[in-house]
Amino acid sequence: MTVNRLLPIGLVATLLLYGAAWQHLQHKRHVFLQENYMDYTLPSRFTGPAAMEFKGMVSDFLFLKVITFLGEKIGKQEKFNDPHFRYLEESVNTITDLDPYFWDAYLFADMIFTWDLKEYEAANRLLLKAKQYRTNDYRVPYYLGFNYFFFLKDNINGSKYLMEASKLPGSPYYLASLAARLSAYALEHKIGIIFLKEMIRDTENEQIKSEFMLRIKTLEIMDLLEQKVREYEKIYQKPPSSLVELVTAGLIEKIPDDPYGGQFILFENGRVYTTSKMLRQK
Amino acid sequence: MNRRIWSLAVITFKEGIRDRTLYGIGLFALMIMGLSLVVTGFFLRELHKVTVDINISAITFGGLLMIFSLSVNLMSKDLDKRTVYSVLSKPFSRTQYLIGKFLGLVLLSLAAVCMLTLISTLTIWAVKSQYPNYFKEFVWLSVFQAVFAEFLMFMVLNAVVIFFSTVTTSSFLTLLFTISTYIVGQTVEEVVRFIQSQAQEIQLTTAVKAVIEMTQYIVPNLSVYDLKIRAAHGLSISSSYLLSITAYSLIYSAVLILFASIIFSRRELT
Repeated sequence: MTVNRLLPIGLVATLLLYGAAWQHLQHKRHVFLQENYMDYTLPSRFTGPAAMEFKGMVSDFLFLKVITFLGEKIGKQEKFNDPHFRYLEESVNTITDLDPYFWDAYLFADMIFTWDLKEYEAANRLLLKAKQYRTNDYRVPYYLGFNYFFFLKDNINGSKYLMEASKLPGSPYYLASLAARLSAYALEHKIGIIFLKEMIRDTENEQIKSEFMLRIKTLEIMDLLEQKVREYEKIYQKPPSSLVELVTAGLIEKIPDDPYGGQFILFENGRVYTTSKMLRQK
Repeated sequence: MNRRIWSLAVITFKEGIRDRTLYGIGLFALMIMGLSLVVTGFFLRELHKVTVDINISAITFGGLLMIFSLSVNLMSKDLDKRTVYSVLSKPFSRTQYLIGKFLGLVLLSLAAVCMLTLISTLTIWAVKSQYPNYFKEFVWLSVFQAVFAEFLMFMVLNAVVIFFSTVTTSSFLTLLFTISTYIVGQTVEEVVRFIQSQAQEIQLTTAVKAVIEMTQYIVPNLSVYDLKIRAAHGLSISSSYLLSITAYSLIYSAVLILFASIIFSRRELT
């Protein structure tokens, strides 16, 4: 009888102890995960046979793991480095070996590779893999073309892939003319704006959308500044030595603020860029 | 004769339906499908792929659990509890008994697949109406084709259960052999292709090669029934392929049931 009466008290005490232990573990785990923790993905030679007939679902799970892991880093505005690159490349290779048609995985990796890691070759390698499987999808050559134009400054390959994309079903009507225009001259910031607007149209995730909006805003400012530089050249028959001269000449009121927190600078070739490299400054 | 087989099949089916394990499995599959309603939103664009992946995988998982627990139990219960005597004392041949049991198990799998497909159809429809813009590549027909292929696999696995329950004397061994057959059946194609593609780099003895070569003829190639990825991306599956896997399942099951009959007719039931 006494033992029976003690049972609820014992239970409450154990539950309290459990709560304390859980709290303590959470704290320790958090510290553990913060200390040089790097996620990993096993290669498809192992994952493929191990997933048996659940390859599609395993690829979903692995992709969710990747976007959660890297998404947390993006959220905290941490800079990506080499281990992140290796992790992303290995993971996406495994994911797309399991499901070679998985466009989300290709596109996510392409975005991080190009915008954040500057690993353009790796991005194109992956898109070429996608091209083998998604043969009827205009987005694959479209993004390949964009990478060649915007990042690699390779107009020949850029327009080749854009032309290819324009012939595939569902491609935006302006692609063919864009390809022709882009191969004729290199209005790089405009290319970025047009491409990013297209990407927003195709994106559900609000965080990614706002990230694109910020990039578009910055590119639009840089495009406007470059137009003003050309105007200056027409008026004064010489290029301005800095953006301040545009203000002095009355072409702009003041040098606009970089939405990413950096400063706009003028290069000798008349191109405007930003010190933030379009990465959020802390 | 046919009526006897049929009545035995119906009895097996009814016995299976009454089993409580079935409700547990159904509930588990429902939970996975419910998960798709929540998880899908975490992805970027290919929400249709994730939804279909999760739902067909849930159907497969439910069907497999049913075979590993219910089918194995239903087969071994007769032998373990000696109820097989009362059945065989009737004007039944042992072959008829096995065919009846097999048909009952297949009926049970069919009912489970139909039920789970109905629920997953509702789940997919719910996600589809929530995100209509992200279901442009989605094709209902591909989903049903993939589910049909899974059902064919369940048929083969039921035949495997029948076969092993006549060979072994314990339900645990039947379970172990069936699971092993499933795992080998799912991976054998990949292993063979890997060895063929890496023939120069991997030095295997002739004996190992011969064993792998033999295995692919003996063990059912279950990867042929995996059409989930194609269904998830709305890619069509040719009717000749479906016909081919249907024929393969029917013939493989028939061969196994025949082998089982030969073994069972010679078995001393003590």
